[in-house]
Amino acid sequence: MGNRPPVRDRRVRGRSRWRGYVYVLPAFAVYLTFAVLPALHTAYLSLFEWDGVTLGDWVGLGNYAEIFQDPVLRRSVFNALVLVVFFSFVPIVLGLLSTGLLARYRRPGMGAYRFLFMLPQVVPLVAVGVTWRWLYGDDGVVNQALRLVGLDGATRAWLGDFDAALVAVGLVGTWVLSGLCMMLFLSGVQKVDPSLYEAARIDGAGPVREFVAVTLPHLRGELAVAMTVTTVAALASFDIVYVTTNGGPGEQTTVPGLLVYRLAFSEGKVGLAAALAVVLGCLILAIVYLINRLSRSES
Amino acid sequence: MMDSTCRVRRRIAATVCAVALVLPLTACEALTPGSATAVPGPTSVPSSTAVPDGDVTLRLQFADAPLMVDALIAAFEEDHPDIAVEPQYKSFSDYVQNLRLTMTSDTAPDIAQYAVGMTDLAADGHILDLAPYREAYGWDEAVPPVSLDQLTAGRTSEATGGRALFGVPAGLSMTGLYYNKDLARRAGIEAPPKTLAEFEEQLAAAKDAGLTPLGVGALDSGGLHLWAALLNQLMPTDEYWDWVNGRKGATMENPAALKASELMIEWGRKGYYDASANGTAQVDSTARFAKGDSVFLVNGNWAAGQLATVMGDDVGFFPMPGEEAGSPTVASGFSVSYAVSSRTEHAAAAGVFLDFLTSPEAGQIISDNGFLPPNPDAVKKPTGVLADIAEGHRRAVADDGITTFPDFAAPAMLDRLRSGVQKLIADRVTPADYLDSLQDEWEDHHGE
Repeated sequence: MGNRPPVRDRRVRGRSRWRGYVYVLPAFAVYLTFAVLPALHTAYLSLFEWDGVTLGDWVGLGNYAEIFQDPVLRRSVFNALVLVVFFSFVPIVLGLLSTGLLARYRRPGMGAYRFLFMLPQVVPLVAVGVTWRWLYGDDGVVNQALRLVGLDGATRAWLGDFDAALVAVGLVGTWVLSGLCMMLFLSGVQKVDPSLYEAARIDGAGPVREFVAVTLPHLRGELAVAMTVTTVAALASFDIVYVTTNGGPGEQTTVPGLLVYRLAFSEGKVGLAAALAVVLGCLILAIVYLINRLSRSES
Repeated sequence: MMDSTCRVRRRIAATVCAVALVLPLTACEALTPGSATAVPGPTSVPSSTAVPDGDVTLRLQFADAPLMVDALIAAFEEDHPDIAVEPQYKSFSDYVQNLRLTMTSDTAPDIAQYAVGMTDLAADGHILDLAPYREAYGWDEAVPPVSLDQLTAGRTSEATGGRALFGVPAGLSMTGLYYNKDLARRAGIEAPPKTLAEFEEQLAAAKDAGLTPLGVGALDSGGLHLWAALLNQLMPTDEYWDWVNGRKGATMENPAALKASELMIEWGRKGYYDASANGTAQVDSTARFAKGDSVFLVNGNWAAGQLATVMGDDVGFFPMPGEEAGSPTVASGFSVSYAVSSRTEHAAAAGVFLDFLTSPEAGQIISDNGFLPPNPDAVKKPTGVLADIAEGHRRAVADDGITTFPDFAAPAMLDRLRSGVQKLIADRVTPADYLDSLQDEWEDHHGE
C-alpha cells in the first residue's frame, strides 16, 4: 500500500491499459459476432417450441423440462460420460506411459515416431470414422486379426453389437487422442532441466522413480490441458459417432452432440435442440472449470 | 481485500453487460423464431395448361439420380426450347436437412424434389397444390392414381375440392426381396414363395442347408424395409395410410404391428439374419449378397441395376408375399417426385415440365436409368431381375398396394424406427415397447 505510484502516472498507465483493448477490438468484434451472439441466440431459441419454419411458440423452460425427462437424452449423456474414459482417461495414461519410456533417452527416429502418433490429429475425423468402420467391419482388419490368432469366437460386427459398439467407438477416440497427449507430455518434458534427471540418477533412482519424482510433477500444466481438451472432445463428440454408427445399434452409442444435430436438422425440433446444446455447453463448462480448479489447487 | 472488491465489481459489470445484450433480444418481437418467414401469395396453380410465352428459366433442386435428371432435362429442353431448366444437385442428406430453410428462403428453387419434410411445408403453404393441373393435364391417365395419392399428404384441395397434389412422380421405387438363384437351388428352393408361411419355410431350408438365409443392412434403413414389408402383409392398408398421414386416432399399437414385430424377433432367434445385420449398411449388405453371402436380401429396386450387372441372370426379385396365396401384393415404395414452390414466378412453365415427366418419352429415360416409370405400359419391356421388379410393381399397383415408407409419419420417425428395428433384430426390446416408442413419436408430432 505504501509505494502507490503518483496519480498522473496511474492515469497514463490506465490510458495505455485501455489502448490494449483497442488492439484486441477487431478480434473481439469477430468473436462477439460469430461466437457470443450465436450462443446467446441459441439460448434464446431454447425457450421456444419451433420447427424451423413456422412461427415459434414461447414455452419458457419447457424444453429443459423435456430434456431431463427423456430417457433417450439421459442415455446419451451417460454414453458421453463413458466416452470420457476412452477419449480422456486412457489416452492420458497411454501418453504418460509412452512419455516415461521415451523421455529418458534420446533414440534415433524419434521424429518419425512422433509424426506417426500425431497423424490421427491431422486426419479429418470423418475420414477417421469411415476408415474405422471398415476396420471394424465383418471382413475388416480387426476380425481378420482375431481369426489369425485363433479367436474366431470373438469376431463380430463390432459397430452393430449391442455390447461392443460403445467400446468400439470409444477406442477410435483413444486412437485419435493418445498421440495428442503424448505430444503434449513430450514437449512438457523437454522443459525439464536435464540436471534434475542427472541428480535423480546419481541418487540411484530407477526409471519408475525418476518418472514419478521428476517427470510427473513437471507435467501438471500439460496434464490439465490434456484433460481439458480430451474431456471436451468426449462430451462434444459428434463426427466419429455420426460416421461409424449414427448412434446405433438401438441407442447404444447415441451422444448429446448427435441428438442436437438430429433434433435441429432432421426432426424439426429446433428449440429442443437449442436447449440440449445449452445444457451440454453448461456441462462442459462445469467440468472444464472443475479440471482447472483441481489442477490449480494441486500446484 | 481491494482485489476481491475489484473482482466483485468486474463481475457486476459483466453481468450488466450480459443482461444489456440479452434484454433487447427478448424485447424484440421480430426476433421470435419463424416470424420472418411469411407465407407467400398463391397456394395453388391455375387450371390452364397454356404454355407461357418468352424465355423462362426454371431452377430445379434435387438429390436423387443426377444422370436421370440430366437426361430428362435434355429431352425436355429439346421439346420446349423456350423453357430452360437449371439443375441444382445436392447430396441426399444435405438436401433433406436443408429442405426447410431452402423452401422458405427468398431464393427457393422453382421445382424441388419431394422429401419427408415436404408435408409440413405443404401444410404451411410453401408448396403449390397442383390439383388443378392434375385435372387439366389428365395426369390420372398417365400416372397410376395410387402414385399421385402418395403426394397428397392426406389433404384435400382448396382449389378443386378433391384430393390435393403436392408433387408429380418421375421414377417410382419399391422394396422387396432379392434371391440368389444358385444358392436357392442348393437349399432346395424352387420358386419364389406364394405365402408368408412358405417364405418362412424357405428361410428355414436355407438355414438347414448351412447358408445365411437373409441379408439385412440394418445399420441404416435396411432393417426398416424388412419390418415395413412384414407390416404391409399383416396390417390393413387403409389403417396404415391413416397412420402415415397422421389421421386423428390412428395407432401403430395394434395386433398386426405386434405380430410383424414378433416375427422380426423370431427370425432373429432362429438365426435367419446375417450375424452382422446391425453393423452392416444397406449398400454393404447388397455388395455381400452379390458375392453370394446370403440366399435372400431385403432391399429396393434402386439396387437392381447393380445386382443385375454383377449377378446377371442368377438374381431374382419378388415382393414380400401375403398371408394367403391370393392376398393382394403390398409393398413399400415411393417416387422421385417433384414439387413446385409457392414462391415461383413460373408456375405455368413448371406445369409444362411436370407434365413432360408423365410422358412416354420421359418414362423410357426413367426406365433406362433403373427406376420404375410411372406408367410402365409406355416403355420397352425390361429383362432379367428388372423384369421381375416391373412385374412385382405392376401387381402392387393393380392391387393399390404401394404404401409409403413408415418414416413419412413424422420427421423424427426414421430415428425411432431405425434404432427400434435394430433392437428387434438383436432381441433387445419387446414388440409392445417398440410400438409404444413409435406411437409416442407419432403423438408428439400429430397431437395438438
